Amino acid sequence: MPKLYRLHRAALYAAVFGMTLALVSKASAEEIIIGAATAQTGGLAPYDQPALAGLRMALDELNAKGGLGGQYIAKLIIKDTRSDTAQTATVAQELIDAGAKIMITPCDADPSISAGQLTQPLGIPTLTLCGSAPVLTAAVGDVMFGTYPADNVQATAVANFAIAEGKKKVYLLTSPDSTYTANLPEYFGKVFEKKGGAVVGRGTFTMGQPDFSAEITNIKSLADQPDLIMTAAYEPDFPAFIQQLRGAGVTVPVYGADAIGTPTVKGLGKLVDGVVYTAAGYAEPGSKLEAFNTAFAKYAGHAPESTYEVNGYEIGLILDQAVKTAGSDDPKAIRDAIAGLKDFDGITGKITYAGTDRMPLRPVALMRYEGGEGKHIQTMIPDAADVPAP
Amino acid sequence: MASAAMGEGSARSFMPAAFRNASADALCMVTVLLLAAFIVFFFGGAAMQRVVTYAAIMLTAVLGLQIFSGNSGIVSFGHAAFVGLGAYATGILTMPAALQRTALRDLPQFLAGYELSFFAALAVVLILAVVIGLLTGTPLLRLSGSSASIATLAMLIIVYTLLVAGREITRGSQPFYGVPREVGLWTAIGVASVALVVARLFRETAFGLATRAAANDERGAAAVGVDQRTSRLAAWVVGAVAAMAAGAMMAQFLGAFSPRDFYFELGFTFLAMLIVGGMNSSLGAFAGVVVTIVVIEVVRRFEGGGEVFGLHLPVLFGLTQGVLAIAMILVIWRRPTGLFGERELNLLRRPGRKAATVPAAPLLHAERDRLAADHLSRRYAGVIAVDDVTLAFDTDSITGIIGPNGAGKTTLLNMLAGDVEPSAGMVSIGGLVRQASAFRFARSGVARTFQNIRVFAQMTVLENVVVAARSVEPDLANAEAAAMRELSRMGLEKFADQPAARLAYGQRRRLEVARALALKPRFLLLDEPAAGMNAVETAELVSILSVVRAERRIGVVLIEHDMRLVMNLCERIVVIDHGRVIADGTPAEVQNNPAVVAAYLGSRTARAKTGQETPASETPASETA
Repeated sequence: MPKLYRLHRAALYAAVFGMTLALVSKASAEEIIIGAATAQTGGLAPYDQPALAGLRMALDELNAKGGLGGQYIAKLIIKDTRSDTAQTATVAQELIDAGAKIMITPCDADPSISAGQLTQPLGIPTLTLCGSAPVLTAAVGDVMFGTYPADNVQATAVANFAIAEGKKKVYLLTSPDSTYTANLPEYFGKVFEKKGGAVVGRGTFTMGQPDFSAEITNIKSLADQPDLIMTAAYEPDFPAFIQQLRGAGVTVPVYGADAIGTPTVKGLGKLVDGVVYTAAGYAEPGSKLEAFNTAFAKYAGHAPESTYEVNGYEIGLILDQAVKTAGSDDPKAIRDAIAGLKDFDGITGKITYAGTDRMPLRPVALMRYEGGEGKHIQTMIPDAADVPAP
Repeated sequence: MASAAMGEGSARSFMPAAFRNASADALCMVTVLLLAAFIVFFFGGAAMQRVVTYAAIMLTAVLGLQIFSGNSGIVSFGHAAFVGLGAYATGILTMPAALQRTALRDLPQFLAGYELSFFAALAVVLILAVVIGLLTGTPLLRLSGSSASIATLAMLIIVYTLLVAGREITRGSQPFYGVPREVGLWTAIGVASVALVVARLFRETAFGLATRAAANDERGAAAVGVDQRTSRLAAWVVGAVAAMAAGAMMAQFLGAFSPRDFYFELGFTFLAMLIVGGMNSSLGAFAGVVVTIVVIEVVRRFEGGGEVFGLHLPVLFGLTQGVLAIAMILVIWRRPTGLFGERELNLLRRPGRKAATVPAAPLLHAERDRLAADHLSRRYAGVIAVDDVTLAFDTDSITGIIGPNGAGKTTLLNMLAGDVEPSAGMVSIGGLVRQASAFRFARSGVARTFQNIRVFAQMTVLENVVVAARSVEPDLANAEAAAMRELSRMGLEKFADQPAARLAYGQRRRLEVARALALKPRFLLLDEPAAGMNAVETAELVSILSVVRAERRIGVVLIEHDMRLVMNLCERIVVIDHGRVIADGTPAEVQNNPAVVAAYLGSRTARAKTGQETPASETPASETA
């Protein structure tokens, strides 16, 4: 029976493969299909949509210039995953059947891994729009690429900065409720300790809890007072925490990551003075990013809501470069080309995949709130050797 | 004709009719499922196969929910938790050891390195499901109704929290990945088919019948010997097993998941599918999953825009959810019990079909026995309902208990039936003192009916009686035959396959008596059996009760306000007023007892003063003299 089953399956694969071939040969030789299994609706849509808009803009521009690598007109097929993991796998399979040679997956690890497990055996390069869990690529295999600065890359940038500032002791505040809030501060801790700092305490919170008094009492009662508190908490937890922390008279600086770069946190004014956070890029006057923001506003009719748009745009540029390097539309060649990218000139800075676990090394902008404004401190690309393993 | 009868006879020898009918239904649904699988296998692409595989996994989980919620009437939010537990257990058991060392570095040694195949893991998961089902069910099911529902919700939250907190084992809130993907179309279809058969047959088992009876009427079920906790626990455990099997498949289908994949959203998806299809039947679960998946798959193809029949469609993402929501609202509005909520397919059981004739079995006379109340009292917050009553009833007798309204007759009867715990004193059956427990009393020979009829309205007439018969008959075939016999004695055999809700009032009364008699009781307690009946129906009842008493020689105790009935039928009358026995003797003795006359006249005068005249139910004893 299992043998028969395998036979059937083999026959089926052959049939599907044949159909795919037929489809491809019928399609224009100058066309390359990019499948986007992304959340058009549901909880992930607010992240996937801006990124997808950026990618669309890039592909439209590239197609106007003759397509990816100047010779393959990119055809983007979008299917809704409804923010559901099982549905992501289903539509990914449909996109593969439709002849996709490049796959774009949602901003989240689970659905990206699910889709990646389908593309991995076929060698189709697969890029997550803004999934930042570093484990994502290892969980799938060599076709899976991250594009956004990974959690551990962001944490390394913040840790490097803290060490450079002369900070010695850190208190880590984590929440086991999400990968981001659980791991990012721990990555920070690893880099910080490696570079001579010390973790003097750890605390946890539950996402959505309104009262942080227990954690704050713990911090106040530490014999060894920390030089800074590192957390990946975001709304509504971060505002509640910092309000109660400062209210309790604790003046220790608090550092975070990209999720607190929001209008709400900025709106807290003096309360968040000195809070350090990260961004995927900073639009300095005269920078490429500023030019992109203007162009995007013209393209979409509204200014970018976040750095996800530029990240999506850069995916388009990366694909263009990879196809150019590969010189063909063969998925495996494109994959190899992406994996070999080194110091690729993106909009936000240089992007490197070579030598990484396919989570890119790319610039992280360090920002600090001062007087109700986000001030740019510096932009850095952490050294691959410093980035802790996922 | 003769050959047909023989065919039926031989079929009965290997399987009771209810199981035969259920198996036919299950086979029909499995055939549809297999047909769908064959079609996508030969004509559908890999994506279509994934859709059907996913549908089969969802079906397994929804059937798990139906087995519990459909039979017990308690909505469960907790089945998503079982799916999650099944998924994680399978993930750990089947993960390649090399991958496990990197993905789950801190996994406790005793859990590491099994690398089981899917079916070996499934076997372990199913055993685990029984253990988890029993553990969660025991405390959970001490509750009833909506508080039990809330408890399942709490269980979902607890399991989610444990999955997130158990970082060494589950990777916490991070994606759990590296599960091999061996579950394909045929595995999922196979497991779903088994689940379909189990869900359909479970309804007809002793546990299924008992759970449904208790869901219809808790006190009524206890009165026919149903131990509601045990049967409900069984439904919970079987449901948990199906849900965890679904979880095992889900793990291998998804390959990567995290605790939030098995939280409220999944729980509500199961419920939505079940409610659309109809909660009360496995057919409903089947239809709910099929309809939901078909709607999603059809609409999904149009939301990306394109040309259909020359019509240009705009891109409209979100259309799927919109159409699904409207479809659900329509179903709930037009068919509140779901598409197929009322009945199963019942292929072999059509109303109006000629009822199988049951050979009359010789009736056994009840053994001589005595039901005794010893200094029995019951107080309700200062009110003394029954006050120090000592009475004994023998088999082969008919006793009437009369008294004015509020005299404590029903409370006394409830205590005799084990339904109400005495504040003082005790009840003994055959000299054995019994702790108050309605279902244990029923099983030890005390059957009863209720003043306000408590038949199981959503079950068929036959099932109503089979529930009771199963308390005394170990196997279903015998119970069915016994139930049919009781129905034909009450002249109800032609309604056997109809829902009890469709019976007329008098027929329901008779059904309740048939149900009580199916327990093969030594004592039959009747609480106002003739209430609401017209003269013809009452006369019929009197003759039935006389025959019952004569044939089986059981002890009948009845509360009745219809004096004509009491005086004609009973050989002994006990009069109760203000919770005390004021007279006990033959009808003639009681009618001339001055205390009885005073009690009745007194109550009548009082009623005349307040101007309340109740119907002629309380004809004074003297009138019939």
